[in-house]
Amino acid sequence: MKVSLFIPCTVDLMMPEIGVAVYKLLSRLGAEPVYHANQTCCGQPLYNAGYREQAKRAAKHFIEVFGEDDIIVSPSGSCVSMVKHHYPELLCDETSWYNRAFELSGRIFEFSQFVVDILCVTDVGASFSGKVTYHESCHIYRALGISHHPKKLIAAVKGTQLVEMSNATACCGFGGEFSVGFPEISEAMVKDKAENFLNTGADVLVLNEPGCLLNINGYLHRNYPQKRAMHLASFLYENSVEVNHA
Amino acid sequence: MHNRVDKFREIASREMQNELSRAFLLMLSLGAPIMRQIGMSSFPDPDCAEAYGRAIRAEAIERMPELLEEFEKNAEASGAKVIWAKDAGEANAAVLKIAKERNISYVTKGKSMVTEETGLNEHLIENGVDVFESDLGEVITQMLGRLPFHIVGPALNVPPGEISDIFLKKGIIKEPTDIFLKKGIIKEPTENPVELGRAARVFLREKFRRLEMGIVGVNMAVAETGTIINVENEGNIRMNKSSPKTLVAIMSLEKVVPTMTDALHMARILSRNCTGQKLTGYVSMDTGPKKPGEIDGPEELFIIIVDNGRSEIYRDVKVREILRCIRCGACLNTCPVYSKIGGYPYGFSYSGPMGQIINPMLLGIGSTADLYRACTLCGACKNICPAGIDHPSLLLEYRARQKGQGNMPVFERMTATAASVAMASGSLWSIGAKCARPLLNSFAKDGYIKNMPLVAKGWFACRDLRAMPRKTFREMWKELNKSSADKKESI
Repeated sequence: MKVSLFIPCTVDLMMPEIGVAVYKLLSRLGAEPVYHANQTCCGQPLYNAGYREQAKRAAKHFIEVFGEDDIIVSPSGSCVSMVKHHYPELLCDETSWYNRAFELSGRIFEFSQFVVDILCVTDVGASFSGKVTYHESCHIYRALGISHHPKKLIAAVKGTQLVEMSNATACCGFGGEFSVGFPEISEAMVKDKAENFLNTGADVLVLNEPGCLLNINGYLHRNYPQKRAMHLASFLYENSVEVNHA
Repeated sequence: MHNRVDKFREIASREMQNELSRAFLLMLSLGAPIMRQIGMSSFPDPDCAEAYGRAIRAEAIERMPELLEEFEKNAEASGAKVIWAKDAGEANAAVLKIAKERNISYVTKGKSMVTEETGLNEHLIENGVDVFESDLGEVITQMLGRLPFHIVGPALNVPPGEISDIFLKKGIIKEPTDIFLKKGIIKEPTENPVELGRAARVFLREKFRRLEMGIVGVNMAVAETGTIINVENEGNIRMNKSSPKTLVAIMSLEKVVPTMTDALHMARILSRNCTGQKLTGYVSMDTGPKKPGEIDGPEELFIIIVDNGRSEIYRDVKVREILRCIRCGACLNTCPVYSKIGGYPYGFSYSGPMGQIINPMLLGIGSTADLYRACTLCGACKNICPAGIDHPSLLLEYRARQKGQGNMPVFERMTATAASVAMASGSLWSIGAKCARPLLNSFAKDGYIKNMPLVAKGWFACRDLRAMPRKTFREMWKELNKSSADKKESI
């Protein structure tokens, strides 16, 4: 099965190892990941800021790049939600673009959803002896309604105990421009998230949203340097039996 | 009319330092959603009940103009006088006129958000008609001269000591505590919340006893019967409605619902979302004034229907759904931003997500940017809203309208356009990444950036940023692709 990877700009520029993990995992699970090197950003930062005309330009480029692919997979629920929900809305005045966007919206999947629902795999062959907790990112949990998929993947990792964090579904305070524009409120929110994580006693906080990851890890690095959050794909890949034996 | 939306950041910052606000907000954000959950789960099928409520609000707003006409016809048929007010000024003037024509020296008021919006209290007091709020929370906020901290509990955050002080200052405690002292109920002036509540009751009971004119808001206006419905827990609204000769009910356009069945379902939904109750302690329904042979009720009933920007919102199809709001406050309790800063920063009658969508439409997009930008778009409000409002989409719409106004800083607009041009070209994007790396990493030390100037500064107030890696994924892909191709060849 050919799978087209959409690697969000945050991953491409700041955390490429997540992209590598997605690529390796999907390959191992029998999918054939391909990557269009002319892909860029979904345009969400522009859209959220209110620059709709500019965001349209990014959206059209995305549709040009991915328009022919049967299945698109991305390690970001927020970007998937942008393509799935906001592209058709953004392009509603241009019929042919709207049709392409609408049609595309059914073919894009968040990483964990793809693995569990389409590949029908929960055990990816990883093992990790320790406690793990999971943060329910807003756009994954609420915008896409994805929650049990990542938790199934984590629970299937050998030796891992998945513990629930209190207020797991509360926003971490990222919100793109919000984190820069309202630093004080954002800090209060990410502080809560970090403390809830620490209170679980878990060794690692797993999540599958690059934006939240930048935020939470940025806060942890500053305040609790011994603790860290990991993207689900990295967690599964870095702890997979194959990697550890190599 | 209070309006301090321009001080959002300043007040938010102050409130986050306020230990009392913080403690209260923590309690609220933990407790209220659970209460709501328990309340909603008492419906045989909570999801259906919620969907039904959303459908009622959707229908009520889509049919609002015809429903209002039907309501007017039926209310007048039952003997009420309906007055239409285009804006806050007309609404306030109408109330004052009614009071002046009847030589009213004071009025009492039930809790009403729309009169806070129009600034009715200030208008009446300036023109010689004294106003006594009768909802305990409103009594306190009125005396303290504050905005409501929360739409349902406007003074829930004010500690008994502060209430005791203001009651003493305003002479509310003195008289009743004297009575309590005489009767041996209490020994001295008190900070006991129950005693303070009782003191306020005794004080207000005197006002009700001689009341000539009462003012109330409206929770639901039933088109098919012309009935106004109020839900409350203190009983003060019923006192306001039943004590005076003259009753003035003030409602904004969107309070109208088609049928009594709809209204009763909405009362059940509203109660559960407000306080987690199946139904509030008091629900009063008035269809016209007292009729011959009836033993109580006002002799005359005025219903003032206030537009104040609503019909413009109705015509603006993209934002029309904000009229669906039933003012239950569930969105406040679930909002991660509200639960850090409380109600004061929003600077107007409506706070939290509800305020973020309503205030910009009432006060203008230009002066309210902080309201529609202080949001992570987490969607918790949309999820919980019993009226089916999509708050994040509305905030995005306001942001787009602001940027579309054409008075944004040129540099910002140019940056956005340049970014979009790069996003539309794989090669430009790669060049951009190559240029960004040394620039960004010049701030890095030991693999992390701890601070940066200008726009990005806010990020680094509490966070680090990993330095940009040596290679982007795009650059790594070439190797990945090559090695997997090699593998395939070797197989």
